[in-house]
Amino acid sequence: MRTSKHAAASSRGLNFFFIQLAWRNLWRNKRRTLIAGASVFFAVFLAVAMSSVQTGQHEYMIRSAVGFYTGHIQIHGLHYWEKRSLDQTIPLDPAMLDSLHFLPHVVHVVPRLETAALISHGNATRVSPVIGIAPAPEDAMTGLGKRIIRGSPLLQWHSGALLAEGLARLLGVDVGDSVVVYGQGYQGVTAAAMIPVSGIVQFPVPDLNNAMFYLPLGHAQELLSAPGRVTGVALMLDNDDDVDRLLPAVRRIAGSGVEVMTWRQMLPELLQAIQADNGGTIIMLLILYVVIGFGICGTVMMMTAERTREFGITIALGMKRWRLMAITMFEALMVSMMGACGGILAAIPVILYFSYHPIWLGGDYAKAMLAYGVEPIVPFSNDPMVFLIQGIIVFFMGAVSGLYPLFVLRRLEPVRAMRGER
Amino acid sequence: MPTIVVVLLLLVFAGSLRAQDAREIVRRANDLMRGSSTYSEFSMTIQKPEWSRTVVLKAWSREPDYSLVYVTEPARDRGSVTLKRKNEVWNWLPSVQRVIKIPPSMMLQSWMGSDFTNDDLVRQSSIVDDYTQTIAGEDTMAGRTCWKIELTPKPEAGVVWGKLHMWISQTGYLELRTDFYDEDGTLIKKFTGSDIRTFDGRSIASHWEMVPVQEPGKMTVLDYQQLKFNVNLDQSFFSEQNMKRVR
Repeated sequence: MRTSKHAAASSRGLNFFFIQLAWRNLWRNKRRTLIAGASVFFAVFLAVAMSSVQTGQHEYMIRSAVGFYTGHIQIHGLHYWEKRSLDQTIPLDPAMLDSLHFLPHVVHVVPRLETAALISHGNATRVSPVIGIAPAPEDAMTGLGKRIIRGSPLLQWHSGALLAEGLARLLGVDVGDSVVVYGQGYQGVTAAAMIPVSGIVQFPVPDLNNAMFYLPLGHAQELLSAPGRVTGVALMLDNDDDVDRLLPAVRRIAGSGVEVMTWRQMLPELLQAIQADNGGTIIMLLILYVVIGFGICGTVMMMTAERTREFGITIALGMKRWRLMAITMFEALMVSMMGACGGILAAIPVILYFSYHPIWLGGDYAKAMLAYGVEPIVPFSNDPMVFLIQGIIVFFMGAVSGLYPLFVLRRLEPVRAMRGER
Repeated sequence: MPTIVVVLLLLVFAGSLRAQDAREIVRRANDLMRGSSTYSEFSMTIQKPEWSRTVVLKAWSREPDYSLVYVTEPARDRGSVTLKRKNEVWNWLPSVQRVIKIPPSMMLQSWMGSDFTNDDLVRQSSIVDDYTQTIAGEDTMAGRTCWKIELTPKPEAGVVWGKLHMWISQTGYLELRTDFYDEDGTLIKKFTGSDIRTFDGRSIASHWEMVPVQEPGKMTVLDYQQLKFNVNLDQSFFSEQNMKRVR
């Protein structure tokens, strides 16, 4: 008992002694330490920045697809997602909307009735998605109201349409004009109406800007002969992680005869695109790690070479090799730790800034992105995991590089080392 | 050498003779059904798994390029007119007092919720000219001996189908059934005629069922109440102006 306690105390003392020595060693040659630390620092900074842009891009893609259209969870008629026909509409029960609202994490409950129809004015005719919306929740979820550039927003029981700016231009209409909407309503009934344009909305993505046509839900139901019916109810949650946990409760409230889908089921292409992109990112990150790794290794080798004489003398004076090894190990850990922490600390303000003020791209690249249906921005993610994971990976690379002096020390011959030879 | 030439010539000749035959059969069946100009009254019932709906229509047509269809029922849609002129389709919507031209992108959409597309309206008359016809065999349909004729679209014809099979009765050239196959050889639609009646001196199937084979529970049924052939219709009848006047 006693001996073991003593041994424990002394080993703790010894550990502390090593740490103290390592710390002093570090500051004995400040410049050397700073160079080593800086290589880790920049490595972490770059890895965090790159990973943040990547994750940010994916978060942005998900956020815009989910936030603009599907929601995290959607309730719709059986097979609606596959067939997209008004025949799969479901009756909208206000009590159901209320119950959905009361679920935890549910932020927006957005009913919609959508189809495609001809929009015509004069000789110009376009095929457009026609979406009946409840103005207030739709505005809250998709920010539609903020996109209005002329005219006024939709009112629940008013006749009037919001046209995307490009569509309005193609048809040659503006606020105050009327357009003919012609298509097929519920159960094949002809849907035709003359509807005044109450406002123009602008989207950065041409596919949306040349197409979207919004009506107040009640009016759309009347036009499409589908009173009280909707094609779907989109649920927006406060975060993506609770989707699966909430699913059973949503299913219970929605009842039978309907389909409840998550965005992952509704947008499998998006999920696949992200996975494919992740593969590419991993390769890029690996290249970055290799570059970083060699940088750190080089610094460590230089440092070790510089200290060969010093090592030789201390061993000749009676320093145990393993103690020296432990000290250099601690040095490597400390430098890596300081570099990694410094890198993370320095990256935080930069990435926080860009996560709220994404970089807008210009020129041909921006046009290409718009053609793909993506806003030309470089979004940054401020997910803490980005910082943590990149910090830890680079820290380990530093620590592993720190093993190099151990090999040197094991083979070191004090006499030759003191002469500055290997 | 000369024998081979003779054999080849015979083969080619025999082949073209058979093709000519099939083409002639299809042309006669087509002329019987359509005439140079027709007036018809018919009802169209659209059956879906969840609902069904009947539309009553009057139609005038001048083959091959012009037709005009007027909706008499249901009351809600009364007065709607579809005008086909060459490859273009217009609709007159009395409720908003506007004529709308159907854009090319909508041509494959369903016409009035039926299993017919706008494109079907436009393309119907080309079975003689846009296809190569061959006799594929004989078959019995509704108690009548029929030629089964395979129609393959000509390369330059803008046809969506991979091939068609038509059953045409050997007596009276009655078109009794047409199967529509896509380019992969999958059967897509079956168009079957029955209940043969005499309209304006011609025996013709009056009850037609269009079944989209891939979509169970769906069907469009046409029932002819009246058919008149070689009606006197001027080209000016098929005009935007007349869409608004016709009753």
